[in-house]
Amino acid sequence: MIQTLPYTTLLRYVYNELPASALPEIEEALQHDPELATACADLLLAQRTLNALRYEPRPAVSARILEYSRTFPASR
Amino acid sequence: MESMQLSDSALVSLYLAGQESAFALLLERHRSRTFTTILLIVRDEDVAEDLLQDAFIKAIHVLKSGRYNDEGKFGPWLCRIAHNLAIDAFRRGKRVPHLSLDGDGPLANSLAHSEEGADDALAREETHSRLRALIQELPPAQKEVLLMRHYGDLSFQEIADATGVSINTALGRMRYALINLRKKMAVNPPYYDSNLTLYDPAALRVQRIAS
Repeated sequence: MIQTLPYTTLLRYVYNELPASALPEIEEALQHDPELATACADLLLAQRTLNALRYEPRPAVSARILEYSRTFPASR
Repeated sequence: MESMQLSDSALVSLYLAGQESAFALLLERHRSRTFTTILLIVRDEDVAEDLLQDAFIKAIHVLKSGRYNDEGKFGPWLCRIAHNLAIDAFRRGKRVPHLSLDGDGPLANSLAHSEEGADDALAREETHSRLRALIQELPPAQKEVLLMRHYGDLSFQEIADATGVSINTALGRMRYALINLRKKMAVNPPYYDSNLTLYDPAALRVQRIAS
């Protein structure tokens, strides 16, 4: 039986949001379909690039938050 | 450190039991994602730092008042607080979009990677600057899904619930966000990064054998 794999399913696969029971079928399709494998690889690369876009606040901000937490009970 | 392996829920329990070090670990674990989410909305480092502080203070109030009940989803819960604060601030106009794109300032410092060469670091920062700018150009609904999924750690179903749409709508918005980013990256070759070769899914109808 021939079925189609919607892009949203691939998206959920790449973001690890599919149930384990759905994975073998998708991974088998990836092994046999170069176009799907390419799409999957591109999504994974995009995901990695987006995830690498991270910033940190200045240390003083974290210090202020921790200080607030430490003094919270006393101020209430 | 052994406690670094603890789940967020375990750290929350320890914190509520009086261990401040558990909160420090939660802060360390979630500040970057939360800060990035806020920064990409308000586009101002100082405002983003204030809002990050507000988000964690709000979380402290809820936790210590015994009203916390997120079913083990501390990260997504914190992100929703931060996201709402950032959106409110943006709507009130309390932001001055002077985000540095030229590699100066604390943002550039925070992106320093000690294990790579200067050229690699420069290329990475250039890509990130361009990507950051392009994310700002996305339609609001697409940008919202992208930020919540990548930096807020929300699942597509959680995003759908938080934004009042179906999961298919959330997935569709993500799909078009990625398509738009790819197109925008391709339009400006000097900044094009081969690591962002987002696939055009328009014609994707892959046949597979069903058992």
